[in-house]
Amino acid sequence: MNNKLHIISNAHLDPIWLWRWQEGCGEVLQTFRSAVDRIKEYKGLVFTCSSASYYKWVEEIDPELFEEIRKLVKKGKWVPVNGWWVQPDCNMPSAESFARQALYSQLYYYEKFGKICEVGYNVDSFGHNAMLPQFLNLGRMRCYVMMRPGMHENAEIPENLFWWDSPDGSRVMTYRIPECYCVNGKNGIDSELASLRERAEKTGNGMMFFFGVGNHGGGPTKGDLDYLSELKENGYEELEYSSPNNYFEEMCADRIELPVWSDELQHHASGCYSATSMVKQLNRKAEFWLSNAEKWNTISSKISNLPKATEEFGKAWKEVCFNQFHDIFCGCSIMEAYDDVRDSMGYAMKIAANEENKAMLKIAGMVDTWLDGVTDAQSREVRHHCRNLKFPRPIIVFNPNSSEVEANVRTYHPSRKVEDSNGNEVVFQNVRSSRSNDSHLDTVFKAKVPALGYATYWLWHEDSEYTEASVFETDVKADEIYLENKYIKAVFDEKTGGIKSLVTKEDGIEYVGGEFCIPTVVDNSEPDTWAHNIFKFDKEIAKMQLKSIELVENGPARAVIRVKHLYNGSYLTQDYILESESKFIRVKCRVLWQEPLTILKMPVTVGGENPISTYEIPGGIIKRPCNGEEEPALTWGDITAGADSRKGVAIISDAKYSYDCPGNTLKLTMLRNSIFADHYSDRPDADFSYCDEGLHRFEYAVYPHSGEAENSEVQKLALQLNSKLVAIPVGYHKGDMPRVNSFISISKPNIRLDAFKFCEDGSGDIVMRLRETDGKAVKTAVVCDIADAGFYADFNKFEIKTFRINAEGYVTETDYLEGVV
Amino acid sequence: MNKPYKLKPHICRFCSLYPLGDKRIPEELMSYKNEIPYLKGFPYPLPSKKSDYSCCAKTGEIEWYGASNGLTRYDKNAEREEDIIMYFSADRDLLDNNVKAIMPDGDNIWVLTDTGASYIEMKMISAEEKAMILLDETEKYVDRRGMKSQKYLTEGRNFDSVLPYGHSDNDGSFTSGFSIGEIMRYATYKREKGADHPDTIEAKRIATRAVEANLLLLHVHCRGDGFAARTYLCSDEPVPDDGLFFRITGNKAVCLETTDSINKNCSGVEIDASAEIPARLAKLFTDLGYTKDDLIYKADTSSDEITHHFMHLLMAHEFLACDDPELDDLIISSAKGLMNHIIDHGYELHDFTGKPTSWAKWSTRYFDTEFGWVDGALNSAQLLMYHLVTMKITGEEGKWRESYDHLINDLHYDDMTTAHFDRLYQASLSGDYDFVEDIMYGDHMLATLAFWGLCILEKDEDLLKKYRYGFKAWRTSMEREHVPGYDLPYALACPDEEIDLDRLAGWFYRTNSSCLAAGVSMLGRHDVAVRTRRNGYKEISALMPPDETFISKYDRNPVEYKNEDSGGVMCIESCYVYTFGYWLGRYYGFFE
Repeated sequence: MNNKLHIISNAHLDPIWLWRWQEGCGEVLQTFRSAVDRIKEYKGLVFTCSSASYYKWVEEIDPELFEEIRKLVKKGKWVPVNGWWVQPDCNMPSAESFARQALYSQLYYYEKFGKICEVGYNVDSFGHNAMLPQFLNLGRMRCYVMMRPGMHENAEIPENLFWWDSPDGSRVMTYRIPECYCVNGKNGIDSELASLRERAEKTGNGMMFFFGVGNHGGGPTKGDLDYLSELKENGYEELEYSSPNNYFEEMCADRIELPVWSDELQHHASGCYSATSMVKQLNRKAEFWLSNAEKWNTISSKISNLPKATEEFGKAWKEVCFNQFHDIFCGCSIMEAYDDVRDSMGYAMKIAANEENKAMLKIAGMVDTWLDGVTDAQSREVRHHCRNLKFPRPIIVFNPNSSEVEANVRTYHPSRKVEDSNGNEVVFQNVRSSRSNDSHLDTVFKAKVPALGYATYWLWHEDSEYTEASVFETDVKADEIYLENKYIKAVFDEKTGGIKSLVTKEDGIEYVGGEFCIPTVVDNSEPDTWAHNIFKFDKEIAKMQLKSIELVENGPARAVIRVKHLYNGSYLTQDYILESESKFIRVKCRVLWQEPLTILKMPVTVGGENPISTYEIPGGIIKRPCNGEEEPALTWGDITAGADSRKGVAIISDAKYSYDCPGNTLKLTMLRNSIFADHYSDRPDADFSYCDEGLHRFEYAVYPHSGEAENSEVQKLALQLNSKLVAIPVGYHKGDMPRVNSFISISKPNIRLDAFKFCEDGSGDIVMRLRETDGKAVKTAVVCDIADAGFYADFNKFEIKTFRINAEGYVTETDYLEGVV
Repeated sequence: MNKPYKLKPHICRFCSLYPLGDKRIPEELMSYKNEIPYLKGFPYPLPSKKSDYSCCAKTGEIEWYGASNGLTRYDKNAEREEDIIMYFSADRDLLDNNVKAIMPDGDNIWVLTDTGASYIEMKMISAEEKAMILLDETEKYVDRRGMKSQKYLTEGRNFDSVLPYGHSDNDGSFTSGFSIGEIMRYATYKREKGADHPDTIEAKRIATRAVEANLLLLHVHCRGDGFAARTYLCSDEPVPDDGLFFRITGNKAVCLETTDSINKNCSGVEIDASAEIPARLAKLFTDLGYTKDDLIYKADTSSDEITHHFMHLLMAHEFLACDDPELDDLIISSAKGLMNHIIDHGYELHDFTGKPTSWAKWSTRYFDTEFGWVDGALNSAQLLMYHLVTMKITGEEGKWRESYDHLINDLHYDDMTTAHFDRLYQASLSGDYDFVEDIMYGDHMLATLAFWGLCILEKDEDLLKKYRYGFKAWRTSMEREHVPGYDLPYALACPDEEIDLDRLAGWFYRTNSSCLAAGVSMLGRHDVAVRTRRNGYKEISALMPPDETFISKYDRNPVEYKNEDSGGVMCIESCYVYTFGYWLGRYYGFFE
C-alpha cells in the first residue's frame, strides 16, 4: 500500500476572468518568475503548471525566464501538465477542438522541452464530457486531474481516485481533487493536510495536496513553503514535493483496486452552457469554418500550386483554443474581455475565410465551365457575368462534409431557371434578399453535391429571354398556418404562434404532445452567471405573446411562415422554413432581447411514456434522465417517448449549447441574460450590463423522427445545418476538372471526416481524422484519390482515428500528434 | 437476443500452385499479354499501389488486376463490401507476388508470376460444406491418435510431406476445442437428422474419439492423483527438447533428459506410474500396437489445458455421453479426479516434485505475485468454473460446494473475476506500454470458456451479474477480433448483449477451405493503415478477411501487422479454428 501525500506546488492561472487577457499575461509572467525563484530557494521544490499558451507568452516576452524554465523542466523541477493550450471548458468544444488543443500544445512542449505532457489537468473546468478519456488518450495522456463537480454537487462520482472510461473503450486514471487546487495560508494547509491524510488512510491510496496561490496566479509563497518545512519536521515527515506525474506513477506501481466510472462528470456550473451567447456562437462558427477551410486548402494545394496554409491555420486554431478557456467560453468573464474575444475569434475566422476563398476559387478555376458560343469579349464587356443573358451563369457549389448533401443553397441574384451540369432543371425559387436595392431577390436552389466535393450549376438570369422559365411540380405546400412537404406537415396555432400539429406523412405519427415552439421566458434572478448551486432553470415567468403570423414565401423550393412574438420591450422573429424534400424545419431567429435576469427557452413536447433525452456531446452521444436539469450539448438535443413505437423530436442549433428536459418537454435555452461575471450574486445596486442583451441572429431546426435519436438522421442533419454548402459564382473557362467531383469516399455514413490537413511537420503528408458518430462499431473503406490513398479502418463506437498519408499513398494510423512525436 | 442469421453459399478461393516448368502450366500463359488497367478514380481501396498494377483481365463481370505485390479481384456487383475487392498473394495463393500475366479460363484464371503459376478457381460452397472439407483435412492430416492440434510438414504447402509425429504443448486445449465443435455437430445432426442418420452416427464417432483422446491425457501419466498431462508421445516418436517428459516403464516413470529437466534438476528422477489407464481410453494407442511401456508423457501442464478440459468435459457430458454411460462414467471420474487434485493441492496443479507446475496456479499465493496479480482475474474465473462444472457433471455438491463457497465467501474470487481489464490496464500504465501490447491472445479463449461456463451454470443472480461483468471486461480486446468462437459463447453467456452476426457471417464466408499454413502478404499492402503502439508493436487498423491474413488458432492477435501463420508456414492447422464457432452457431440457432 502506498498512501503517502504528494505535495503539488502549483498556480492556477486564469488568463481572462475578472480581468482582460493583457493582465492575465502579466500574471503569468510574474507567477512564472516567482516560481523559478522559489525553486531555487527551496530544496526539493517541484512546480507544476499547465497550458501551453502561457509558456508561449513567456517565451515571446521574457526569453531569459523561459530559458530558466527549460532547464528546470529538464531537471524535473518544473513539470508542465495538461498537453492542451489552456484549461478549456470541457463540455462545449467540438471533438476536433480537443484534437487541436492537444496537437498544438504537445508539439509545442516537445519542441521546447523535448517531452510532452503525460497528465491531463483541468482542475477548474466546470464539468467534463463523457468522451474526455478518449481525447486525453489520443493526446498521449493516460492520467487526469480534475475537481469539478465536487462531492457536494455529485456524490455518485467516485470520490478520490478512479478509472474513468469513455464509450469508445478509452480509459484514464483520474484523480478528483477533494477540496481545492489552490490551498494557501497556515489554516488552509492545516485543514487540507488533515483531511487528505484521513482520506489516504481510509482509501489506502496516495493523495495529492495542491497548494499555491491561484486564479490570478501567484503560486507557492515563501510563507507557505516555510510552513510546510516546519510541518515536515513536526509530524508530517512523509511530506515530499512531488508532481502529478510522480503521483500517478506511484499509484500505478501499486496493486490498487479502483472504482470505475463510465459516464460524464457533471454538474458544476449549469449556467455556463448558455451564458454570453456571443462567445458560443463565435466558437461554433469558427470550429466548422476552420475545419472546412483547412480541408479546401489541403485539396487545393494537392491539385494546384496554392501554398499550404498549415501555419496560418495553426495561428487561427490557437486563438480558438485560447478562447475555449473555461472562464471565457463559459461566458463568465467581464464584459470588456469579450471585446477581446470577439477580435480574437474574428482574426481566426478571417484566416478561415481567406484560405477557404483562395482554395475554392483555385479549385473552381480548374473546372471546365466553358460553354460553346461564349466569347471572352462577351464576358468582359458586361459588368457582371450574371448580366450575360444568352448563357446561364456557372455557380460551383462546394460541400465540405464527407457525405453527399442535398439541400437548398443561396446566391445573391434572381434567376429564371437553374440547371445542373447534365442540363436537368433544378428546383429553385427567387426569394427576398437582405438588400433593398435592384431586384430585391436572391435565388435559392436545390443542390446535390457529392462528399467533400463540388457540383456545377447553371443559373439563367431572371431577365433572360433566351430560355423558358421553369414550371415545377413541388412537394411544398403552405398557407398562413401550415407548412407541408413530402415528409412532414406542420400546423401553427393562431393564438400562441406555436406548432399545434407536426406529423411525419409516411407513418402519420403526430409528434406534438404539449407546448411546442412557444417561446417561454424564465426567471434568472436567483442564479449568478455560473448558476452556482442551481441546476434547474424552471421558474417560468411568461410565454411570449404572439404578435403576428404570416406566410412570407410559398414556392417550389421552400415555404416560409414568419412568426413574431413580443415580451415587454423585446421581440423574437422566427422564419419557419420548410424546404422541398427536407426532413426538418429550419427556423431562422432574430431576437432583440432587453430583459434583465431572464432566460428565453424554446420547448418541444412529445407525448408518450418513458421519455429519454439524448444529446450530442463532443465526439459522441449521451442519454440523460429527463429530470429538468440544465444540460450541455453540442449541435442538438432530442426527446424520445412512447411505449412501443418510439417517436422523437430533435432541436438542432447552429449556435447554442444548453437544454433542459423536464419530463416529455425538451427546451432549447436560446438566451440567458445574466450580469457579466456575477459571482455568487452579491450584487451592488448598479446599472449592470447583461451578457445576452441586444440583437441575436441564429438558427435552430425541428426534426421529427421515429425511433431513438441514434437511429435517426439527426447527426447528418445537424451537420447540414452547421456546415452548409457554399455557392461560388465563377466565370466561363476551360479546365481539366469535371463539373461534378468528390475528393473523398467513405463507405459508411456514420464515419465523419473531422480534419483533412497537412501534417504539422512540413513533410507534405496529409492527415485525415475520422470519427464514428452514431455509437455503432463499423468497418469502413476510405478512398482519397488526391492522396493516392485507399484503406480500410475498423471503428469502435464513437472512436476517433487519425491517419497520416505519405506521398506514396501509404497510410499509418497515428493520434492527435500526427506521428511528429 | 440475436435473431437467427441465414448463411448462404458463398464464393471461396481454391488456388493450385505450379512451379515454373510444371507441365500443367498452359504454354500460352508464358507469352500471354494483358492490358494495363486504368484505375484513376477507382472507387475502392486497392491492395497494391495503383501505379504498381501492370496487367488486367476479365472473367465475366469480374476484373482481375496484377501488380508487383499480388493479384486483385474486383467484383463491383458483390453483395458484401468485403467481397468487392479481394487480394491474392504469396505464399498462400501465389508462388510469389510479381504478377506478370493473367489468363482467363472460363470463370477461372491462370496467373503467371516470376517463379510459377497459380490456377485460381472461385467456387460457391456453403458454410457447412466448408466445415466438412476442413474436417476431412484435419482427419486425414492432423489427427494424432485422436488428438487434433497441428501437424508439421517437411516442405511448405505440401500435404504429402506431413510428418507422422509431432506434439503440441497444447494438445489438450486444441483437441478440446475440436471436440466441442464436433460434439455440437453431433448434437445438431441428432436434432435435425435424427440419431440414426449416417451423418449423425459419423459425427458421434469423431466426437467420441476426440473426447476419448482428451480423457486419455487425464490418465496417461498413470499417477493416479488426478494430474493432467499436457500430451503424450509413443516410443517411435522423437522427444523434443521442450519441457518435462516422462517415459513410463512398468510402474515407474523416468524423467528424460532435456534442457528443462536439467535446469530443474530432475533428469532421471523416477516417479510412480502404477495407476491403470482405463481400457477404453488405452485402445487409442493399443489398437496401434503400443503398450503402456511405449508411452512418454509431457508434464508441467498449464491452466490453459485444465480450462479446456473442464469445459470440454461439460459439453461431452451434456451432449454426447447421455447415450454412452461408459463414457459418462469416465467423464465423471476424470472430472472428480482433476478437481480433487486441484482442491487438495491448495488450488494448484502439482507436478511430481510436490510443487505447482509453472502455469497451473489458482492460489492466493500465486495471485500475490507480480504475474499472479494480473492473472488473478482470469484464473479466479477458471477455478470457479471448474467447481461449477464438476458439480454439474457429478450431480454432487459436498466438497465442491464447500470449496466454491470458500473461494467466494472467504477469498472473494467472485470479485476478482471482474478485475481483468483494470489490472491489465494498470500494468500497461506502470510499464508505459499500450495494454494491447501485453495481451496474451491465448487468454481470450480461456476467458471465453471460463466465463461461458460460469454464466450458464451459476444460478445465483448476484454472482451471475459479477460473472457477466467479468466477461464484459474482456470484450475491449476480444470484440475487435470478430471471431465466432468468442462472440457466440459471449452471447450465450450474456443474452442481453448484441453481437454482429453479419460480421461473423463474413468471417465464415471468407475463411479458407484449408488450414494448410502458408504465409500471406500483409506487409506492404497499400490498403491497410499501420499503427505502431507505444512499445513498437505494429497492428493494422482494420481486421482483414481471414483468407487474406494468417491463420489465428485463437492464440494470436489477428490485426498484428505480420505475414506468417501462427505455426509458421510448415504446418497444417486443426479445423477447430472454424468448426468450433460454426457448430456452436448452428446448434444454438445463431445461424441457419
